[in-house]
Amino acid sequence: MTCDAAAKLIPLYGYGDLPPDEEDRLEQHLDECAGCAREVRRQRSLAAALDERSLQPSAALLEDCRAELMAAVRQGEPRAGRAHGSWALLWQAVNESLTGLGRVRQPVGAVALVAIGFFASHFAGIVPGGVSTLSMAPSDNVFSTVRSVDPDSAGHVRIAFDETRRRVVSGNMDDQAIQRLLLAATREDNASVRVESVDALKNHAASSEVRDALLNALSHDPNAGVRLKAVEGLKALAGDPDVRRTLAQSLLTDDNPAVRMQVVDLLVTHRDDAVVGVLQGLMQREDNTYVRLKCEQALKEMNASIGTF
Amino acid sequence: MRTYDRSVLRLALNLLRSPEDARDVYQEAFLRVYRNLHTFRFDCSFQTWLYRIVTNICLDLLRKRKVRKEESTVVETSEGPVDRIESFEEDSAHSDPERTMWNRELQGKIEKALEELTPRERLVFEMRHYQGMRLRNIGEILGTSEEAAKNCLFRATRKMRAELGDFV
Repeated sequence: MTCDAAAKLIPLYGYGDLPPDEEDRLEQHLDECAGCAREVRRQRSLAAALDERSLQPSAALLEDCRAELMAAVRQGEPRAGRAHGSWALLWQAVNESLTGLGRVRQPVGAVALVAIGFFASHFAGIVPGGVSTLSMAPSDNVFSTVRSVDPDSAGHVRIAFDETRRRVVSGNMDDQAIQRLLLAATREDNASVRVESVDALKNHAASSEVRDALLNALSHDPNAGVRLKAVEGLKALAGDPDVRRTLAQSLLTDDNPAVRMQVVDLLVTHRDDAVVGVLQGLMQREDNTYVRLKCEQALKEMNASIGTF
Repeated sequence: MRTYDRSVLRLALNLLRSPEDARDVYQEAFLRVYRNLHTFRFDCSFQTWLYRIVTNICLDLLRKRKVRKEESTVVETSEGPVDRIESFEEDSAHSDPERTMWNRELQGKIEKALEELTPRERLVFEMRHYQGMRLRNIGEILGTSEEAAKNCLFRATRKMRAELGDFV
């Protein structure tokens, strides 16, 4: 490979977006070319500098956006009895979703899932105009954020609040609606919820959405427990080229030795030349003794040399 | 919807670097979803459909900005809106002055480099680098091929490397 050809591949190499054979050829070139290896390091520095400018929306901004959206929806909200078009579909979806997820089916099922988060509690029990005549406090499973308090001279008070309502659903793991809820749960802030969700999904990796969620968890989840569960879930797909690319990338970037050891185990279940290159590359940079030993053992079992020459 | 709304807001905030614009994108996107649910044909995932809507709105805004050539540096934080340049200086106040200066120059260069990208390149880069989306998915969202998304990402990173020179 020439340096010009390598230069075209290096930006994509950093993102793990090269096919295995191209990645292998590039890595061979990098072992021999100090200039291109320096360019890879620069690319990594650039990525690290770019990472520093990443912004996370604050919880307050997100809550404001949700509240503004609800306000906008209410402004255009027709009365339930006159619902038509997309409103009718949404209304139908909300009603279906409230009567039990087990009965929700596509296309209404998907629409319901869109609707549940924002619209269910707001349609239910609220008279047209968006004002409820509540005479009791919200029940224990409703978490409220009070937005405004407006007392009048007659002794009444008008309180605007947002609700987050807890619901409990149960169903078979093969149910699409249950799977979608679990997929949503893999993005929750609570790490233990993510661990349980990924664990529950791991036997359903044949679905492309579950597979993508597992790959995403392995690549991006900050919790090592979640990443370990994701590796377990990817076992059945260890021969898939996309999965192998992500595994190889994790092997080189994951900061947790237990994850790296599991990934080595998984990668060597399907031998290919790219794996040998990845493991040899890992041997040059791995600090953890146990991972090095595992890597060394795997290379020996594949009759490959420990280092590159 | 709560599955996706945080990542939609994050994408808009990082792309547009303005909480106000991010709010607008968020509201416009979900209202379009709400109004057009009946047109969703299940020929792609809901996420892809949603991101198509979001990226179209963001592309429009970025294109308008290319004409206006202005960009807010104010961002939303848990302590309220702050100017990210001032915030950056404040964060770095206790560190080595030379390093602070270098970091400030680097961040300035990065902002300039990103401004030089076309709206489409910026979008592809944002979705790949910060959102961790796969190129195939990005191509699907933008109504193009994985190869075209790959070329776009390649051009974006090359431009940034060229703009940043010896800084990295």
